Amino acid sequence: MIDPSRTPHLALLSLIASLALATGCSTTEKTRYGDARSVETVTNQFGSTDLQMIAESMTRSMLNAPVVAGGNLPIVTVQEVKNKTSEYIDTRSITDSIRVELQKSGRVRFAADAAAMDQQIEELKRQQSEYYDAKKSVETGKMVGAAYRLEGNITSIVKEDKGVKDVFYKFNLQLWNIQNGLLDWTDEKEIRKTTSK
Amino acid sequence: MNRTWMIIALLAAALATGCATKKGFEKPGFSFGCPIGDAKVSSMEDLVKLKVVHEGKRTTIEPTEMHCTMTGDLEKIDVTLNNDSSQVKRIAYKFRWIDREGMRAWEEEVWKPLLMHENSNMTVSAVAPTNKAVDFRLILLSQE
Repeated sequence: MIDPSRTPHLALLSLIASLALATGCSTTEKTRYGDARSVETVTNQFGSTDLQMIAESMTRSMLNAPVVAGGNLPIVTVQEVKNKTSEYIDTRSITDSIRVELQKSGRVRFAADAAAMDQQIEELKRQQSEYYDAKKSVETGKMVGAAYRLEGNITSIVKEDKGVKDVFYKFNLQLWNIQNGLLDWTDEKEIRKTTSK
Repeated sequence: MNRTWMIIALLAAALATGCATKKGFEKPGFSFGCPIGDAKVSSMEDLVKLKVVHEGKRTTIEPTEMHCTMTGDLEKIDVTLNNDSSQVKRIAYKFRWIDREGMRAWEEEVWKPLLMHENSNMTVSAVAPTNKAVDFRLILLSQE
């Protein structure tokens, strides 16, 4: 039998309990759009800010190189940027960003690189097939070779001691003259990130 | 009499040269090599005020020097930042590039984080991404 004098207490307790339950259950995730170009420091692993800073720094430096600044519209092919760090980094994403900025500047043209070659040849072959009007199809043997190749590497030094983790990244990019094998431009971008607990 | 006129002429020439020393090399519409349009800029402080924008949380880091030049057909800017406090300061900065019509000449740059040691100066440099960029703003944001 429930004591009527204790009923208000029970009601209050059950109300608090249900409120607590409801609050507990309602810890829903919040999703918001952010600034894609803001400084990201969620972890000290390679992140979006590092990628964007490297791409911007390398592009601006290259635009000042005599080979590009001369206005000769050099034709460049993008080769591999070797990831020599201990973490996974999509280096293709870095070179893609560099290529976008350079292409937008209108001072460099890009020839199909090794990664795009299969699709390029496939399309060329497809247009030579019986399904296409020969007069309106592209001709084979007209592709333009690059005069320069862009390659580089990214390295890192990681040190960790007593709750402090220091990561140093060094990104190096080089523009080689394919004809004579000379290095026509190179630059580096260094980034240091330290995390302490 | 001739001698008096000569002395007066020499004095006037010296005075004119003295007055023109500060900005005698400047083209109209430029101050310290930086584009200023019709704005009145008579000192470095005026130029800094004109070109620097604080966004978000205001930083105590102050630009003290600003010089511009052309590298080829691209604008190049050097800005000296000063941290006169006795603490390490963290800021982020970016340049905003403006074209002849006052429109954005390039997409928004990435915020670049910068650590400034106590009582130190640091020079940040930037080259315009395109020759359409004829003006700029330096944007500062506190990261404290």
